[in-house]
Amino acid sequence: MSLTTTSLAETVKKQYFYKLKANIDSFSSLVGIQILAILFSLGGISSSGMGGSFVNVNVKYYSPDLVLVFTLIWSFITAVTITTRPYRNHDFSFVTSRLSSSLSNILFLVTASVLGSVTALLSGNLLQMISYLILNEQLYNIGSGAEHMVLGFVVAFLYLMLIGACGYLIGSLIQVSKLFVLLFPILFIGLLFLEGVVTNGFIVSNVYKFYAMESVLFLFVGKTVLTAVALFIAAISILNRLEVRR
Amino acid sequence: MKVIESKGITKNYFRKQVLKELTFSIEENKITGLIGRNGAGKTTLLKIIAGFIRETSGKMNVFSETPFNSLNVSVNSIFVDDQMSFPPALQLGELLNEAARFYPNWDDQLARKLFNYFSFDAKGYHNRLSKGKTSTFNMIIGLASRCPLTIFDEPTTGMDEAVRKDFYRALLKDYIDYPRTIILSSHHLDEIEDLLEDVLLIHNGMILLHMPVSDLKEWAIGVKGASEDVLDFTKEREVLYKNSVGMNTLYVVVKNDFSEEALNKAHQLGLELTPVRSSDLFVYLTTETKGGIDDVFNNN
Repeated sequence: MSLTTTSLAETVKKQYFYKLKANIDSFSSLVGIQILAILFSLGGISSSGMGGSFVNVNVKYYSPDLVLVFTLIWSFITAVTITTRPYRNHDFSFVTSRLSSSLSNILFLVTASVLGSVTALLSGNLLQMISYLILNEQLYNIGSGAEHMVLGFVVAFLYLMLIGACGYLIGSLIQVSKLFVLLFPILFIGLLFLEGVVTNGFIVSNVYKFYAMESVLFLFVGKTVLTAVALFIAAISILNRLEVRR
Repeated sequence: MKVIESKGITKNYFRKQVLKELTFSIEENKITGLIGRNGAGKTTLLKIIAGFIRETSGKMNVFSETPFNSLNVSVNSIFVDDQMSFPPALQLGELLNEAARFYPNWDDQLARKLFNYFSFDAKGYHNRLSKGKTSTFNMIIGLASRCPLTIFDEPTTGMDEAVRKDFYRALLKDYIDYPRTIILSSHHLDEIEDLLEDVLLIHNGMILLHMPVSDLKEWAIGVKGASEDVLDFTKEREVLYKNSVGMNTLYVVVKNDFSEEALNKAHQLGLELTPVRSSDLFVYLTTETKGGIDDVFNNN
């Protein structure tokens, strides 16, 4: 048999389409988790009321915020899952290198984030439709139009990518040593406690401010993209040394 | 051309040394049998060749490249064992399609024919197959991918007699049509010896023998006759196996490096010289302890 050659790009492309089919379950769990979030949001995610002797006004807000939060959790879990041993072994049954495996994983996470952000945002419209048609609420739509939609989509996508990248790095660290399974929750919860003690805000609130309170879109995109890329590069260099099927 | 070149390969798992300074090379388009007892280091060696794990020290070259993280090695080689795992979401038929996309030399016709011959259901799932069926399916992927380096690590695990025979026959036929380098690991030497050209015998992480099968068959000789004569004839030689047969008759296996004269002398003494079956020789060479399993149960 004569030797054949392949390129990194070609292999990544093949693996990407392979993973779209192989990880179809993660998309069905996305649907499930979003339906759950929609159910939770049906009462309105917040409400305020005021009234006098003749008028009574009750305002409920229907927005996809909760759906987005659930989708963020889903993105994190999906990213951790695809770093686990069975998923890496699936790659090694066919043509792969550790780099191509990670690159196709990242492409898969990008696709998942696009899908997650689009569905999460559209679920806002679904919520409003349900409240109008089924719950017979009077609807006043604040903030709509194509521009609003695109902006929402971009921001949601970037958040999902950022969380996905965190999940991918944490997942790959766990593959190096199972001790990280213990370490990360301790670290996270410990930081939250510290946060309560220190008056001026500690790491968590500063990180939150840095990413979530940025009002300049350009800066926000720069921060999230650069962070995600850095996290992915760190994860790739960790996964690059891991032995499989031992 | 040398497909595999290994120079002083060592592999440690924690403190245990699994492979000890293995140096060998495997030529192109040969079927080599990797033979060794349980835990001899066969699978570890094959996984280093396939690039799954990394050697602790030494240099492994496959197609003149380090296999760990090499796409070229990955596309030109396939590692088949019963641990091969596939995404549970894909059906068997879809798995064949995926394999076809990944391996440039994939023969889809062969794959489908074998698939039907072994009566697989295209809508079935890999994780629901029985042990023998799993091995059979993995074997189909291994054969149809037609990789220049095809590695079968104990491919017949769980297969019944009929399927095992079919597999060996299919392997040989496909090899004759499309010669490629094949490594077959097994601890049943007698089952695969007719298939092999070379044998690589490893024991405790070290290479005992690496030679053509035909040489292995003549490597040792069995000497049978009156105890005194046999002992005299084989003195100062390493005795691989010794068994007393009845009264005053001894059967001894030693390395066959006698001169023509010595052999003639043996004939005159009335000693019976017989070739040793390679599978027996394998057992003699790799027996750890003197005595046998019976000694475990002898309380005295």
